[in-house]
Amino acid sequence: AGFGGWGERLKAAVHYTVGCLCQEVEEDKDVRFSKQSIAAISEITFRQCGTGCFLILCRHAKRTTVTTEDVKLLTRRSNSLLKYITQKSEELASSNMEQKEKKKKKSSAAKGERTPGEQETAVTENEDSSMA
Amino acid sequence: MADRRSRSRLRRSGHHNARAAAAQTELSVENRRKSLRSTLAKQRLAVFPDLRNGTPRLMLKRVVQNQPQVSPLAPQISSHEDTQEVHSEVPSKRVSSMGELQLPDVAPEGKSITVFHTTKKRRKLSISEFERAAERRLPQNQAPSTLDSTITARSFRMSVGSLLAPDTVEKRGLLRRPKTRKAVDLQVFEGKVEQNMLNSKGQNYLVDSQSISGIRTSILTSDAEMMMNTTELFVQPQLDEQNQNKFSALEPQQSDSKTTAQRSLISDGDQEEERLEGLVSDVRTNEGRTQRDSKSSSLHDEHVDRMTHISPETRAKQQEEKQDQSPQSNPMAQISFSEEEVAGTPEHGPSAGYSEHLEKKLAEKAELQITTAQDSRGETEMASSAAEELAEGSVGAHGSPGAEHKITNGIGAEGLDRNSHAFSSFDKRGMILLDETDEQGDELQDQAIMLDLNSSVEEPAQDEAEQPASGEASMKTPLFVRAPAKNLLLSMPHVEKVAAPRSPQQLLQPKTVPKRLGPPQRKPREPQIPGSLIKEIFRHFAKMPVTKEAFKIVEKCSERYFKQLSSDLEAYTHHAGRKTVEAADLEVLMRRQGLVTDKMPLNVLIERYLPLEYRKLLIPIAVPVSEGWRWILNLLFSVLLGSQCDTSCFSPS
Repeated sequence: AGFGGWGERLKAAVHYTVGCLCQEVEEDKDVRFSKQSIAAISEITFRQCGTGCFLILCRHAKRTTVTTEDVKLLTRRSNSLLKYITQKSEELASSNMEQKEKKKKKSSAAKGERTPGEQETAVTENEDSSMA
Repeated sequence: MADRRSRSRLRRSGHHNARAAAAQTELSVENRRKSLRSTLAKQRLAVFPDLRNGTPRLMLKRVVQNQPQVSPLAPQISSHEDTQEVHSEVPSKRVSSMGELQLPDVAPEGKSITVFHTTKKRRKLSISEFERAAERRLPQNQAPSTLDSTITARSFRMSVGSLLAPDTVEKRGLLRRPKTRKAVDLQVFEGKVEQNMLNSKGQNYLVDSQSISGIRTSILTSDAEMMMNTTELFVQPQLDEQNQNKFSALEPQQSDSKTTAQRSLISDGDQEEERLEGLVSDVRTNEGRTQRDSKSSSLHDEHVDRMTHISPETRAKQQEEKQDQSPQSNPMAQISFSEEEVAGTPEHGPSAGYSEHLEKKLAEKAELQITTAQDSRGETEMASSAAEELAEGSVGAHGSPGAEHKITNGIGAEGLDRNSHAFSSFDKRGMILLDETDEQGDELQDQAIMLDLNSSVEEPAQDEAEQPASGEASMKTPLFVRAPAKNLLLSMPHVEKVAAPRSPQQLLQPKTVPKRLGPPQRKPREPQIPGSLIKEIFRHFAKMPVTKEAFKIVEKCSERYFKQLSSDLEAYTHHAGRKTVEAADLEVLMRRQGLVTDKMPLNVLIERYLPLEYRKLLIPIAVPVSEGWRWILNLLFSVLLGSQCDTSCFSPS
């Protein structure tokens, strides 16, 4: 959609990451993933992130950044997934809070740190969602 | 076999290369490949003796080496049109039709190359034809015919890619087995996810296999809920068992004098499913928390009523009552839902360890109860623990089976992002309770567990009461959840109740419930889509008579569907930080459903499907004042006259 020249590289990066994750699962569960399934997963992930529910929801909230709230909304259906993501978000939030505390102690600027922290949370949350 | 595939790949790439390059380079490339392949073929001599001379490529190589070079561009089309078909077979038939190739021995080295280009697609060869060709060729070779036939047959099959006739296959080897697709077991999947999560968090609490299996069973029950949530018309049969567990569990819990007979009677899968569905749908309506306060008292009343109903009943009666109660169960569900919230919100506050602890307890109990429930139905076992836990789990909901159904359904089905983790753990608890009570008698046996659960439940309630505002700043959802949860009437009674019934008497639970209940009983019913409307619409689209049972199922399913829709809608509205549902929220909903796309905006759908007056409401139209009045009058007339007139003529010019 709005990726321009980065589209192909991003898709390849997503595919690679999905492949790595599938490999971990393979070793863990002693199953094998066919190439088609990995390709399907990465295609779905990419499409969802690009022109999919994520953007719809975050636009609905009048935001341009996809946050953990959007992710949680989408995972509402699956209870275990929702639980997992909420746990992860809590962990990340707590760790972010600690980082923020440290930053606040070090530097005097308080407001400037909030936004990068949120965006970081959003990005990592997206990774976690794809992982989950 | 890999060689064959590589060979085919080489051939195809050779085709591409040959097209680009000149004839001689083509031939040289081909030669190189052929030499490679010939070495491979030599290695395979023992297995594929005929490949030495048999493959077209090798033959070609021989021809090329022996014959003067002929330009492939010189079109000797006439003689080779016939052979083209033969050559088209060549890629597919590796070993066959040597006879045909021998004819154009001199000329078509190049032709064969070009011919190879043309044959992109392999002609499917019948086995009989191949066999004939092989037989023709076989006498030329010294290899034993039977072995050859099997080998060539195998190679042929592999090249063509067709499935083997099973009797001709000695060894499957690389051949594809028929795909046996297992249906994805959602329960197992969910169980594994849970297991992963819990294992990853820390092995401290979940060391036993018991707890893990308990979690799995709880997850299974939640999976049952999940499966119920998927909008399918037919509930899967594997849910029946758990549904029955839950249903039967709910029944005895309400009153003290539940008999095992009653419980066994309860295990009617169909009705349970219906009830379960109804309960799930009811739970979804809990999204509208505003109703809770008003209905909380009514819920308690309903508990009492249900308890009295259930005690003496026959099976039919019970089932009837259950069905009657299902519409009423919504308030119960709401209460249970609020209960869940209450239990859920504190979890955000306390550390993850506490939640794990709770989970562990739930898992243990679930495992105990669920396994017992599944193993032995109608047996009196640790009913007390189950009953106690159930009483713990939901304040008012304990009273009625419907409520308990709701709890399980709500727990399983409900995907509120607010409750998430706490919810799920509570969910497990509820499920455990349901299952146990299903199986077991009334008497509380496992008071210890119950007490533990009581204490654990009480902690969150107390925490929740004590730390109203002390949520993490980043945890917006817990704050949001806590705020209305605190406002709930039940939150306080829940705390009190948790504190009060320390005595492990199940009898106390029903008794305390009616005390708190007020006069209104069953009055505020959750608004339902009228059954007559659903029936009419369904009959219209079915174009054939519909039985009452079918209609009942349709009603349950549509009820659940709409409940899920409305819960989604509420989530979207909350997501936008509003409390009023607006058209934008509906647009998101329809987009998720696929009704609204970039090609099909909402307005087009509105114009297409809604009557004119609604369209006017939704789509603002600017009309000059002078024309406006006349136009409005025209619209009114058109509406009054009905849809028979063409209203498009009244649209503004």
